[in-house]
Amino acid sequence: MGALEILWKIISWPPLWQLIVLGLIVPLLVVIYILWFERKTAARVQRRIGPLHVSPKIAGGLQLLADLIRYSFQEIIIPKTVDKAAFISAPLIALILSILPVVGVPFTDKPEWFPIPMDYSLLVVLALVTLSPIFLIVAGWASNNKFSIIGGMREAFMITAYELIIIVSVASAGVAVGSYNIVDIVHAQTGWKLLGLLNPIAFFTAFVGVLLATSGFPFEIPESEHEVVAGAFTEYSGLMYGINMGAAYLKRMVYSIVLSVAFLGGWLPYTPGEGFVSGYLIPSIVIMVKATILMMIFSFLRAVYGRYRLDQALDLAWKIMFPLAAIGFGLSLAEAYLGIF
Amino acid sequence: MSGFVRGSVGYNDLGLPGMWTRRIGKDVYEVFIGPQHPGSGHTRIIIWVDGDIIVDSEIDMGYVHRTMEKLSEGRQWIKAIPLFERMAIHDACNVTLPYVRAVEKLLDVEPPERASYLRVLLCEINRIAAFLYGFGIFGVFLGHSTMYMWPFGDREVWVELAEWLTGARLTHTYPVFGGVRRDVPAGFTDALRKAIRYMRRRLEDYRKIFVDNPVIRSRLEGVGVIPKKIAVELGITGPNLRASGVEYDVRMNHPYEVYDRLDFEIPVFEEGDAYARVLQRVEEIKQSLRILEQVADWLDKHEKTPIMAEKFWKTAPPLYKKVFQEQGRVKLPATFAIMKVPAGKAYERGETARGEISYYVESNGANKPYRVRIHSPSARNAIVFKYILPGHRVMDLPAIYGSIDYFPPEADR
Repeated sequence: MGALEILWKIISWPPLWQLIVLGLIVPLLVVIYILWFERKTAARVQRRIGPLHVSPKIAGGLQLLADLIRYSFQEIIIPKTVDKAAFISAPLIALILSILPVVGVPFTDKPEWFPIPMDYSLLVVLALVTLSPIFLIVAGWASNNKFSIIGGMREAFMITAYELIIIVSVASAGVAVGSYNIVDIVHAQTGWKLLGLLNPIAFFTAFVGVLLATSGFPFEIPESEHEVVAGAFTEYSGLMYGINMGAAYLKRMVYSIVLSVAFLGGWLPYTPGEGFVSGYLIPSIVIMVKATILMMIFSFLRAVYGRYRLDQALDLAWKIMFPLAAIGFGLSLAEAYLGIF
Repeated sequence: MSGFVRGSVGYNDLGLPGMWTRRIGKDVYEVFIGPQHPGSGHTRIIIWVDGDIIVDSEIDMGYVHRTMEKLSEGRQWIKAIPLFERMAIHDACNVTLPYVRAVEKLLDVEPPERASYLRVLLCEINRIAAFLYGFGIFGVFLGHSTMYMWPFGDREVWVELAEWLTGARLTHTYPVFGGVRRDVPAGFTDALRKAIRYMRRRLEDYRKIFVDNPVIRSRLEGVGVIPKKIAVELGITGPNLRASGVEYDVRMNHPYEVYDRLDFEIPVFEEGDAYARVLQRVEEIKQSLRILEQVADWLDKHEKTPIMAEKFWKTAPPLYKKVFQEQGRVKLPATFAIMKVPAGKAYERGETARGEISYYVESNGANKPYRVRIHSPSARNAIVFKYILPGHRVMDLPAIYGSIDYFPPEADR
């Protein structure tokens, strides 16, 4: 066995491949594209040009890389008054935890490409996505800054509002199919029986829940610039701030992946075949494309809406979205009873 | 608990390095918003919050105080005009017009009719531009980035019209004692009519994306209500006063220039909340467009007559006279700058985009003002924050701040 072969074996070992390539590198590329897309569409709506001068030939596509380089060369200022250990570790842990749910998602139905074969993958993924926001509160608390603490508290309020909505509405996908295994859920959706079409209520509440969870407009409340400067990230600078912002987008990417396997049919209409390319690469590309389209819809809302007040967002979540999610759950139960899948 | 001790150092009771604290009350949190805060402008609002509710608030102004009244005592009469423009550079004509009129009163000159119409023309262009500026700031306060970019882009239309008319985008120094500096260029009224049509179309777009947006409506309706009685007691002015149901506009109640000859209305809203203040400004833009249409008609119908009081250009050198008569452009002779104003006192007021501004001008017969006292609208509106904010949520602060359209440089002078 040659050295190249061994290297290839290590890289294509599913857990590593999925966490590093599908969990980190591809989402980073997608996030770079999404941020460019977000700025370009907002600019189009607002009759501006948007990013251009960094690379005029590809319409400013490298602007974000330039920003990233600038962030990484900026001085990281750690104020005297912060709790250093928590201040430094919180964003890093949040970043890791926001990518972690990807290991639970099977990107194909061939078991040899599963990082961790399991029967309750949907529940595991849902459990893992709820971990990272706590470290946002830790970051705000450790900053010892009034705006950071207010931002952290807002995030805490938002967690109580969105977590249950997302869990109930995504779990209703499993309920309809009768299995919490993502492979079964995707298989059940063959023949355009997409859960997003058959249970639009659950899909809609999950969509709004993701907006709430990732502070997308109109729920951009924890980082609302004109009240709390940058929320929990007020004291962060340079690359640490970049990590915080990147973690938020990676979180949204992971949620989009979960929504696209649970409601939009995962790798369908493609059927995975044998081998690496047909069995793993193409299905994962299909899922990534679906997730990217979802991300683009999330991003476009920035140009249309302002932000709700905190109490109005909580009202909306608890009084309208949660009952709707429960109705969606009931619809799934009815579909399971009628045996549609 | 109300009121804060300026300069108090506090004590280190939390044991945190570099963190001085001071007890202010049980369960109360003191937050200083500004002057270096993305949502404050050049001012500081101090709020005391209990949970998410503001229990007390105070506005701490004066961060951009430039001693304008005192500075004006050190320079010739006409040189005070560019100085006063710096209060609100995007509303330059409205802000300086009462000063010019007060000095004209002391000089006992009357501007020609055409100059009066031209002053009204620039005043209304400035007013629309200032309202659009306010809308932009308000939009970004509510997180609505499209409403930030659109009005700022559309404001360019009016700024460029003003540049075409006066030669400067912002600080025009257009009205001078006895008239205005320039006549309208050829083709200006056509461009003005085009701009009016464009603005009417855009107001419809604003309604679709911002004014009728469900998110924005839920943020603004019933927020920051200033009841009619309180509005009168606090002495607030301008669109904020009219949105609270008081029909008072200097242009209507104490007409100056040619406003009494123009047909326009004063929109009044009864609700007095932030949403009413938005609608109020939209309606005011519509009325300004109406005024501009009438001014454009008047300018088209009438011959190019002098735009400066005869007293000033009659004694000018021949070359200056030629420029004035042939190009419709006032080239000010040096005698104009060192002109002495007869001793006396004068008071004038005018309606700016933010409300009533008044000037008290006193002369002792020298070539410089003896005293100029300015009472600016934002200074009058600032008190609102102390009385209206308590009881609201922290997230209502930008909604109220933006809807008042408070402009610190104008308030601090």
